[in-house]
Amino acid sequence: MAAPEVHHLFHNPIADHSFSPDKSTLAVARDNSVELYEKSGSKFSLSDELKGHEKTVTGVDIAPSSGRIVTCSQDRNAYVWERTSSGWKPTLVLLRINRAATFVRWSPSEQKFAVGSGARVIAVCYFEEENDWWISKHLKKPIRSTITALAWHPNSVLLAAGSTDSHARVLSSFIKGVDTRPEPSAWGERLPFNTICGEYLNDSAGWIHGVSFSPSGNALAFTGHDSSITVVYPSAPEQPPRAMLNVTTRLLPFNSLVWNGENEIIAAGHDCEPYRLRGDESGWQLAGTIENKSGHGADTAREESALHMFRQMDLKGQTQADIQLKSTHQNTISTVRPYEETDGVLRKFSTSGVDGRVVIWTV
Amino acid sequence: MAQLNYRTINIDVLDPDSSINFPMDTLLPATLPAPTTSSAAAAVAGEVRQLLRGGDPEAALRHVLDTAPLGGDERAKEVHLAAVTEVLQGIRQGEMSRVLEGVCTGEGGAGRADCLMKYLYKGMASPVSNQTPRKSVSPQNTGFSQIQGRNLGEGGGGQQMSVLLSWHEKLVELVGTGSIVRVMTDRRTV
Repeated sequence: MAAPEVHHLFHNPIADHSFSPDKSTLAVARDNSVELYEKSGSKFSLSDELKGHEKTVTGVDIAPSSGRIVTCSQDRNAYVWERTSSGWKPTLVLLRINRAATFVRWSPSEQKFAVGSGARVIAVCYFEEENDWWISKHLKKPIRSTITALAWHPNSVLLAAGSTDSHARVLSSFIKGVDTRPEPSAWGERLPFNTICGEYLNDSAGWIHGVSFSPSGNALAFTGHDSSITVVYPSAPEQPPRAMLNVTTRLLPFNSLVWNGENEIIAAGHDCEPYRLRGDESGWQLAGTIENKSGHGADTAREESALHMFRQMDLKGQTQADIQLKSTHQNTISTVRPYEETDGVLRKFSTSGVDGRVVIWTV
Repeated sequence: MAQLNYRTINIDVLDPDSSINFPMDTLLPATLPAPTTSSAAAAVAGEVRQLLRGGDPEAALRHVLDTAPLGGDERAKEVHLAAVTEVLQGIRQGEMSRVLEGVCTGEGGAGRADCLMKYLYKGMASPVSNQTPRKSVSPQNTGFSQIQGRNLGEGGGGQQMSVLLSWHEKLVELVGTGSIVRVMTDRRTV
């Protein structure tokens, strides 16, 4: 297994990160702005800054084919940034929310994006030609608390949402004139806007931190603050799910997860390293960490002279400062994203966290 | 008409969308067992005592955790807590690891481990029996429990606390920090 590629960008938390499809541009949310890094050689260097938000930016996503960047922030706004000859130009999105925006993702079709918020709504946004702006429709119905995570089904109509009311939900975001009618699936046949296709709660509850559809869209995984991961296999519309499997772990809670094929999930969070889970409809299991800890010690090599030892004992009362975690990330991982994949099977994935690092891992 | 001081009205209570009015029962899973009463809990306590006297502490602990009144009322929960504490105190230090391994593995073992962790925290949070239980100092009735009168280790409570702490140490060794996190999130309280 190749060693992970570590990019230590700065000493601030990264709320969210996104790579352009050719992997030459990396967008990271830092405080009130989004920084764009260009790849030069094996490093990323700061090339541009998207300024406009007045409060902490909570989400950033680059659309793979159009190259548009959508950002959302605690100032209750979202912007769509487009590259022009004179730099990046923002367009304000009419979100109509009265609390912070918490999460944003483009739909696979790139015709829409969804913004989660503390106002207990999901704003599904689409472009209106005649008025030349992005407008939103609200998914409201059963949501009782802040939306913390969103994930799109491959058909661009179904949307999974995790919330602080401990429920993971699958909702329809069908918009007439924008979407084509989706194929009937186990989630539902007719899917008008705000159809509730599923509502799931763990036994031990806990805020939901991350949701994700499997590559086929026929299974949903979510993770919450109860340190568990739940995988749901729907059976038929309006029916209870065929299987709902809960894996409780002995670890700290996970913040984010991605699927690797239909039988593997990669999750990371407060334990500062990514973990692998394997399973199928009959059961899921934690398969262990992806981190290779044996090679780590090289960067902790330090002066070992007697003078140094006594100086350390004098200064700190100990000979070796124990300030480094053994993991690659030195703090909580907040986002896991696919980096390189073919047909839903990952070759590489990227993580970003509170330590200001973006790490690219080989599966 | 009496003068109404509008500044002291808690307007959040009147707002159906306010977090104070969050329906906490929506966080309870559908698999919650049926409510039990304090007499049922007392019956369980009797059975457990018998198992303990019969020299099978593992079966006693297993039984008392499997019958936790997750859906019961406050009284039932209190009686059951006393039974659990009795079992925990009735097991010798040297036997703890062996008993825990037996209880926390196999079918439903993870659930029992989480349940035991809940009881350890509840036991440490509840005031000593000879003290008058102080009122909770939660400023608002948010449904979340806050700091309660703590057992500071005076009198007979100190010994009980040390028993709970050594159980806690052994349990964390076995099932990790995840179990502690679940005590905080789980709304099926014991």
